[in-house]
Amino acid sequence: MFRIYLQLGLRNLLLYPIRTGLTVLGLAIGIAALTFLSAMNDGWLQNMKINFVLTQMGHVQVHAKGFEQSRRISDYIHDTKDIDKNLQNTPHIQSFTHRIRVSGLASAAGANASVLVSGIEPENEKKVSRLYSFVKQGEWLQAGDKRGVLLGDVLADRLSVGLGDKVVLMAASPDGDIASEVFRVRGLIHSGVMDVDNLLALVPLSMAQQWLGLGRGVTDVVIRADAFTSVEGISKHLKQALNGDAFEVLRWQEIDPMAEQWTMFAEVYTWIVLLVVIIVVLAEVLNTMLMSMHDRIREFGLMSALGTGQKQLFAMVVCETLVLVAMGGILGFVLGAACSLYFGEYGLDLSQYATAFSFMYMSPIVYPELTFNGCARILIAAMLGAVLAGLYPAWKASRLNPSAAMREV
Amino acid sequence: MSNNILLQSKDLCKYYHSGDSDIAALDHVNFQLEKGAFTVLSGRSGSGKTTLLNMIGLLDNPDKGSLHIAGEDVLALSPAARANFRLQRIGFVFQAYNLIRVLSARENVAYVLQLRGMPKQERLAIADRWLAEVGLEGLENRRPDQLSGGQQQRVAVARALASEPALVLADEPTANLDSQHGESLMALMRGLNERCGMTFLIASHDPVAMGVALQSVYMQDGKIISCDVA
Repeated sequence: MFRIYLQLGLRNLLLYPIRTGLTVLGLAIGIAALTFLSAMNDGWLQNMKINFVLTQMGHVQVHAKGFEQSRRISDYIHDTKDIDKNLQNTPHIQSFTHRIRVSGLASAAGANASVLVSGIEPENEKKVSRLYSFVKQGEWLQAGDKRGVLLGDVLADRLSVGLGDKVVLMAASPDGDIASEVFRVRGLIHSGVMDVDNLLALVPLSMAQQWLGLGRGVTDVVIRADAFTSVEGISKHLKQALNGDAFEVLRWQEIDPMAEQWTMFAEVYTWIVLLVVIIVVLAEVLNTMLMSMHDRIREFGLMSALGTGQKQLFAMVVCETLVLVAMGGILGFVLGAACSLYFGEYGLDLSQYATAFSFMYMSPIVYPELTFNGCARILIAAMLGAVLAGLYPAWKASRLNPSAAMREV
Repeated sequence: MSNNILLQSKDLCKYYHSGDSDIAALDHVNFQLEKGAFTVLSGRSGSGKTTLLNMIGLLDNPDKGSLHIAGEDVLALSPAARANFRLQRIGFVFQAYNLIRVLSARENVAYVLQLRGMPKQERLAIADRWLAEVGLEGLENRRPDQLSGGQQQRVAVARALASEPALVLADEPTANLDSQHGESLMALMRGLNERCGMTFLIASHDPVAMGVALQSVYMQDGKIISCDVA
């Protein structure tokens, strides 16, 4: 029977090509816009996540227990040998590096500024983060250059220093003493991210260990996974493998909940847009189906008289609605997907409007990304809208009194 | 009820409300129809012919009375069971708007068979046979808007008969046809009644219809006034 419902639905829709065409066009534009918007959202979100993780955070970090909460340098990892061994045996880890992270003060030629000192392994760091790609003046730290420092460009302005100038960095050592060391500026960094440009000072890890008296100790082991989908597995594996009383294993969302909140916000936003689309689809399709039903009230009466059951009439009208939405939906999805793929390749430059958001890891050039989840959401929303829109006309058609319906003019 | 009686109504009443008063469209109608009958219900417009046909066809509910068709108390059936009873036992030919406009003549005839779950090849073969029977060979693929009024009525007759129902109800089948087509259609139905033994109940005030009837029932003001056998 389903075949005759489809056949009748399609032929009835084609009986009024202009009305059907306008409805299909309206649906197609709506679905195309939704597909593109969804791909923009997914692309933007993915881009933000990647920026967030790869700017400096990494996908997973291992600290001494309590460090993330206290941020005290005394809570440091004394020896990373066991951790390193575990990481080498953990699947889906692309690379990892060690860091010392400590707040301090920078002084230069009479100017002072708060600073976030990060002791890094220059070569390993290149494999984990994108910090090296943000060097806008000078060069990345070289192996063996113990006194080199890279400063965020805004921080350098505040200190009124440039390449080759001397900077004194001061920070508390694990035993509570203030330690200071002299560095020379090798490069300036500009990432667009406020925390990096305004606060960051990168120094060689070995020098930081020596200066702060940490021996072979570090505060962070920063891990880059091969994909976002691997993060859960890596985190779970490390939590099992490492001593939970001595170490904490944190995923990127746990290190900075802002990223998680942004993701959730974007999800909610997407669902609100979907809801609006369902309402629009519902209104448009409902209008068309009610008009169609009104035109064919005698025909429904005839079908009922011939022995078509209420459930069959109901299914017939719902089926016709689904055919209508499928036509508009497929056309719209193809249009939206084509736009998404085009801009996914070449990018949509919003730098005139979005530069101010870069501090939140948003790239001003958005690359829409068609995801399975995004497509499935749109498809389900459109079909749900269609079914909802079809229910009332279908219910009305199935409840018609055949003799009264056939008398309708 | 005798084995030869197909349909029997007792005190069938139907009232329509108009302002403060009730108008009796059917007023205690007692009526029976034998198997193989070719009966014409006649009477002026508003006499209750169509209302009685609608009650017998289970398209509408009476306010009072009883109705048995093929021994079954059809007024006690649920809406779904009524639809199924119509599908299995009754064939309809209406005055106008008889066909599903997006289906071809063949598909219109086969529609009822499809509802009955008959396989495609079988139902299309039956549809073609009945279309040939009513003189529409070669027009099987035409849509209703590509057929004349007379041809459309013939398709409706073919559809009504293709499922070999116990009872065929026809409401003013010649009303929209010229006299030549009207005569031809009535002769066709009478011929099929003779050859196939199906029972026909036709509401009509067309003299041509009354001329071929085996039994004429005259109605007035919702009552059966006379019942004559030819």
